[in-house]
Amino acid sequence: MNIPHLTFQDLLPVAPAGVLVVGAIVLLLSEVFLSTAQRTYQAVIGTLTALLAGAVAMNNAFEPARAALQGYVVLDPFSQWMTVLVCLGTALASLLSAGFLNHRNAERGEFYALILFSAAGMSLLAMSAEFITLFINLEVLSISTYALTAFLRRGPRPAEAGFKYFILGAFSASLLLYGAALLYGATGSTRFLDVGLALPQAFAQQPGLVYAGFGLVLAGFAFKVAAVPFHMWTPDVYEGAPTPVTALMSAGVKAAAVVALVRTFLFLVKGLSPEVPFIAFSALALLSMVGGNLLALPQRNVKRMLAYSSIAHAGYLLLGVAALFAPATAKGSDAVGLFTATPLLGSMPNVAASVYKGLLFYLLGYTVTALGAFGTIAALERREDETRSNTWDLERFAGLAQRKPGWAAAMAAFMLSLGGVPPTVGFLGKLYLFGAAVDAGLLGLAVAGVLASVAGVYVYLRVVVYMYMRPAPADAPAPFRHWTTEVALIASAVAVVALGVLPGPVTEWFSRAGMVFGS
Amino acid sequence: MSHTVPTANYLILAAVLFCMGMLGVLLRRNALVVFMCIELMLNAANLTFLAFARERGDSIGHLSAFFIIAVAAAEAAVGLAIVIAVFRSRGTVNIEEIQSMKH
Amino acid sequence: MSAEQVLFWVFAVATVVAAGGVILARNPIACAMSLVATFFFLAGIYVLLWAHTIAAVQVLVYAGAIMVLFLFVLMLMSLSDQGPVMTFSAWRIAGVVAVVTVLAALVLVFRRLPAQESLAWSGDAARLGDFGTIKHLGAVMYTQWLFPFEAVSLLLLVAIVGAVVVAKARV
Repeated sequence: MNIPHLTFQDLLPVAPAGVLVVGAIVLLLSEVFLSTAQRTYQAVIGTLTALLAGAVAMNNAFEPARAALQGYVVLDPFSQWMTVLVCLGTALASLLSAGFLNHRNAERGEFYALILFSAAGMSLLAMSAEFITLFINLEVLSISTYALTAFLRRGPRPAEAGFKYFILGAFSASLLLYGAALLYGATGSTRFLDVGLALPQAFAQQPGLVYAGFGLVLAGFAFKVAAVPFHMWTPDVYEGAPTPVTALMSAGVKAAAVVALVRTFLFLVKGLSPEVPFIAFSALALLSMVGGNLLALPQRNVKRMLAYSSIAHAGYLLLGVAALFAPATAKGSDAVGLFTATPLLGSMPNVAASVYKGLLFYLLGYTVTALGAFGTIAALERREDETRSNTWDLERFAGLAQRKPGWAAAMAAFMLSLGGVPPTVGFLGKLYLFGAAVDAGLLGLAVAGVLASVAGVYVYLRVVVYMYMRPAPADAPAPFRHWTTEVALIASAVAVVALGVLPGPVTEWFSRAGMVFGS
Repeated sequence: MSHTVPTANYLILAAVLFCMGMLGVLLRRNALVVFMCIELMLNAANLTFLAFARERGDSIGHLSAFFIIAVAAAEAAVGLAIVIAVFRSRGTVNIEEIQSMKH
Repeated sequence: MSAEQVLFWVFAVATVVAAGGVILARNPIACAMSLVATFFFLAGIYVLLWAHTIAAVQVLVYAGAIMVLFLFVLMLMSLSDQGPVMTFSAWRIAGVVAVVTVLAALVLVFRRLPAQESLAWSGDAARLGDFGTIKHLGAVMYTQWLFPFEAVSLLLLVAIVGAVVVAKARV
């Protein structure tokens, strides 16, 4: 029997997840032994744990890319930076939850524990390099998110949202698994490394089997990142979940799913004709960018509007993914089309590094912005509203600038950042990502993305107009104040503006993410 | 061994099960039955893993199936708890009636 | 016809009929019982595939534990079964067409797989004797599949916490 030889180096990639799990267990135990009336300390534990895990991941991010734990996970800068982003989002989400739950007398250690568990799932998902491992980690992430979505028992919405998320998640997971089973049949392995090695031969012998597996895995992932046309129910789930959880879902879950998608398909495209994955990702990106922004246009419900906007943002991320899979030797290169790559300088430059940097920076921007925007919405929610339909109506924001200028300024910054208006981090993220797409020759798709995001600016500016130019209604609610909420909102507002003006060393750090294992 | 059933037959059976599961998810109105149909889909994936495992004579397919069963059990626990929560808040598990949020 | 062929067709037809019961029966209890039957017949198929361990686990975990959970929940809810069993709308019909297309494509793909009349490796007596036994699976699981195994333990912890949180009456 061959006993595996594991060293400390093998445990390095999973260390951030380990920290998160230990923190979650501490929180679970605190509920048993320290159940006082005042539970804000739990949010603080959650935040500190997430920050510590983020620091550990940041330390890992400068390690060279390699496989670990017998090839079931990989340690590379891309996944570790993504873990840093996830931890950042988790820290902000758990701070936001404190005020939100406190207001509803629903503070429980389990809630924060589940947030940390889901962050651990995201971190593990980003580094999984084998189908069954990927599936298990995806379920760790999903199951904790289902439970968080259905956590509050106020009115029918949370249970409904949890149920819809569950059905969608379980359905997409089984699509992914069936695809993995077919690919196992074609290649004889579930480890990405071996699958990638065996694919060229398998494709030559059984192209149908490989394409079927490829398509099913892609569909499973498309549900997870909520790309159009796999987005049904996503807005319902985002609307019905407790607002801090929605923030975590829109930022963290999507980030982890995008990394897992990139990692999986880097190996799955070996041997396939390069046009197939490129056209598949381009089509998903185009549909999500255009569909998300168009569907957001008529929404008066700000929370639902942000749900559609997160679909559009998934589209921008998929644009980056499509750039990654742009065929290296473009044929018919004179034509600029939606699904063609046009080399700008005659030959195709190696754009992978700038795409990874763009993806990471975009996700960093989206994480701080979405957490801030949903956090502001959460603070404006009233406990009595939970069964009403106008809880998140635009009217709520009317005249906010006169009543609470600080809150309005922060929300305006978040909205401008989501729209990609300078000088915010959202603008810089779009600049890097679209720039990388143009470098990869995706002119038509990048133009479509820019046009779609211009249409989206209207949606975000409408909130700003309501805050600054409409008179406040007589019964306008004041934001619910809690020091944790204010800390989280100030932190994300400062990050949105500061990173937009001075990205500083962050972009240089992210450039190292060009080192993705196996690329 | 010439009387062995070809792997393709097992695979086609799995595909039929998988698609029956998908049809059930699409069409059934009872939330619990929809969940059962998802279990059918997972079983189809298991059958595919096992069929290929026999053809190749390695144990990866068996271990995959083993882990999938474990995950399905975990998923069932949380999924059924959510169905109970839906039933408590509405008194029904009819998917058509679980539509409080407008599109 | 060999014994394997006879048993395959018996179990395959029974599996499909039982699965049809799951998606067609009006009463959810009947659906659940059909699902149990599906799991049992599938376990039979697994034995034909020399996956004895998985067949046993299938009966224990799926037909045993998971189905008992389903039946408990069904009994807790005491559902009245009124109205149509299924709904059809434009996008659902489109979905049905998509599913049928997927099935046709898959069947085409599988029929074109290189036919293997005899399994190339099955002459290897040592390998055959070991294949699918719990001893072999255990050895592989605890030496090579360590990480997925640990990840599953994390998953079970999360599932326990999640189920308790969601099933609580009020938070």
